[in-house]
Amino acid sequence: MSTPLRNALIALGITILLTATVIYAVNYLNNARLAELAAIEEQLSIDTLSLETQFLLLEAAPCDSAASSTTLTSELADLGSRLAYTESQLGTDNPQVVYLKKKYSLLEIRDYLVTKKLAAACGTKPVTVLYFYSNSGECTDCDKAGYALSYLRNTYPKLRVYSFDYNLDLGALKTLIAVDKIKGNLPAFIINGKYSHGFTTLADFEARFPKGALSTSTPKKN
Amino acid sequence: MSADALAYPFIFIAIFFESFVLVTLLSKPARDARARTKSTTTPSVAVIVPCRNEGETVATTTESLLALDYPKDKLQIILVDNASTDNTPAVMARYANNPQVRVLQAAERGKHNAVNAGIAATDAEFIGCLDADSFVEPDALHEIIPCFDRSEVAAVTAAMSIHRPRTVVEHMQNAEYSFGITMRHAMASINGLYVTPGPFSFYRHSVIRELGGFRYGHQTEDMEMALRIQRAGYEIENAPRARVYTKAPRTIPSLIRQRTRWTNGFLRNMLGEYRTLIFNRKYGVLGMMVLPIALTAIVSTVALFLLSITQFVLQAIRAIEIRLGIPLSYTLAPHYAGFDWFYFPVDTFIFLGFITLVVSVGLIAYGRHLSKTSMRLAPSLLSYLLYGLVAPLWLIRSTANVAFGKHQTWK
Repeated sequence: MSTPLRNALIALGITILLTATVIYAVNYLNNARLAELAAIEEQLSIDTLSLETQFLLLEAAPCDSAASSTTLTSELADLGSRLAYTESQLGTDNPQVVYLKKKYSLLEIRDYLVTKKLAAACGTKPVTVLYFYSNSGECTDCDKAGYALSYLRNTYPKLRVYSFDYNLDLGALKTLIAVDKIKGNLPAFIINGKYSHGFTTLADFEARFPKGALSTSTPKKN
Repeated sequence: MSADALAYPFIFIAIFFESFVLVTLLSKPARDARARTKSTTTPSVAVIVPCRNEGETVATTTESLLALDYPKDKLQIILVDNASTDNTPAVMARYANNPQVRVLQAAERGKHNAVNAGIAATDAEFIGCLDADSFVEPDALHEIIPCFDRSEVAAVTAAMSIHRPRTVVEHMQNAEYSFGITMRHAMASINGLYVTPGPFSFYRHSVIRELGGFRYGHQTEDMEMALRIQRAGYEIENAPRARVYTKAPRTIPSLIRQRTRWTNGFLRNMLGEYRTLIFNRKYGVLGMMVLPIALTAIVSTVALFLLSITQFVLQAIRAIEIRLGIPLSYTLAPHYAGFDWFYFPVDTFIFLGFITLVVSVGLIAYGRHLSKTSMRLAPSLLSYLLYGLVAPLWLIRSTANVAFGKHQTWK
């Protein structure tokens, strides 16, 4: 065998080995990322259950669990960011991403329900937004709406935003969609129980909030 | 086609080629080439310096040749003026009385004609060419001569560096030239060279005569000659410690102009007279690997760059669209909350690209070590990062020139 041919075969072997190692390492790191997401979800699941139990235990003084609810919502938002990043890296069709999204959506619904219960029991007036989007391409304004909501949440920390992938095959989500009578016009929003859809400008979107709902919140100082 | 679909095969080929170079550097022919000692024999040698408007540098070039550590009666220097309009003829005339130097006027314009005029004026056994903006180390010739020990070797290339790089563009080229030293050394050990660059390449006179001298070669007469040598079944060697320094373009536009000319020449030679070399087993590693990969690299880089730019512009437009109406104070504010490995970009292409870059840096550093060239590595390596942004510009320009049949003037 000639030297160049032998060298080419060795080089090909090295290249395949290197590429395989990199693919394995990337896969390993992505799995680690998914595992971290799963662990966070597991913890949040326990926290939600704990909050619900706390709520039941403190029937006489349910408002003592309000602080825990706020912390939980903030952790949920962080989980949402991580999940969105993972989805952008691994793709919307990745089975594990879809599975984690389902769990995340369930956690969101439960948090939303707890928030509503606390509001009714304690007389607080949280501003909640249920945001329904789609990643499958038919919703051209979803990215704009998502970014505007990120801005609003950042500016008004008391605003509670729950984002749902409209096409996610999840029973509880379908029920939520049916109960709130969400049609296929995306992006769709339930702002403090009131349905609206479409997104044009931030100003137009802000006008959909109850009067004073945003201004009464304490703006976050950057 | 998405940029990713093109990028993965491209990066795979890049890693394969770098691995091939590394393996070749470790194999016996390259080790033997490095073990080669300086010559003790001193055959007759002529160095031709074709000059066209090189009044500023031709004296330094000539002085460096006169300072070569070689018997004076065996070394002839032939200065050939090629229709200069500056003071080049006057500077050359200063050497007219030196017994080692011969001053000529080329009858016809064109670098190949100037070199041929020099060849016709000598009977030396070996003929070297040296661009009039380059100069050599005193021991360079003793490094080159032993490479001609085997009769099948028709040409020998030297180790080029940039003379005192100052600007970012010069540093960038210095890194590239250092990379070239390693590449040329590795490829020469398996006869894979297809260029005998203007600065201090040497030829066996008998072979040049047999092949009929230099041709226009689409403004790349050095490449055309090298391809003709390979096609005739001869070999091209390399002397990695024969140091030659050359002046490099100092600005991006002049660099693009120079490289467009080189790439034009390569494409026109390869797609024209020498296309039979590609994927031809008769020409060994040159035909089966070096030339196909060189062509693939040009086509892939152009396609990848254009696709990436298009995607980048589309994404930028989309990003602006999304952010329209949101206060700039939020859009521009850093949303960075400390390092979190979770958000660390983990991507196969990024990892493979990083490996390619690290190996490239290693090959640059090795080129410096191999040639024993003093070079400030840090600025060159930093400037080298620019290469990926600039190189596609001349590749696009030259590909377009060739596609639309546009010809470029020398300057």
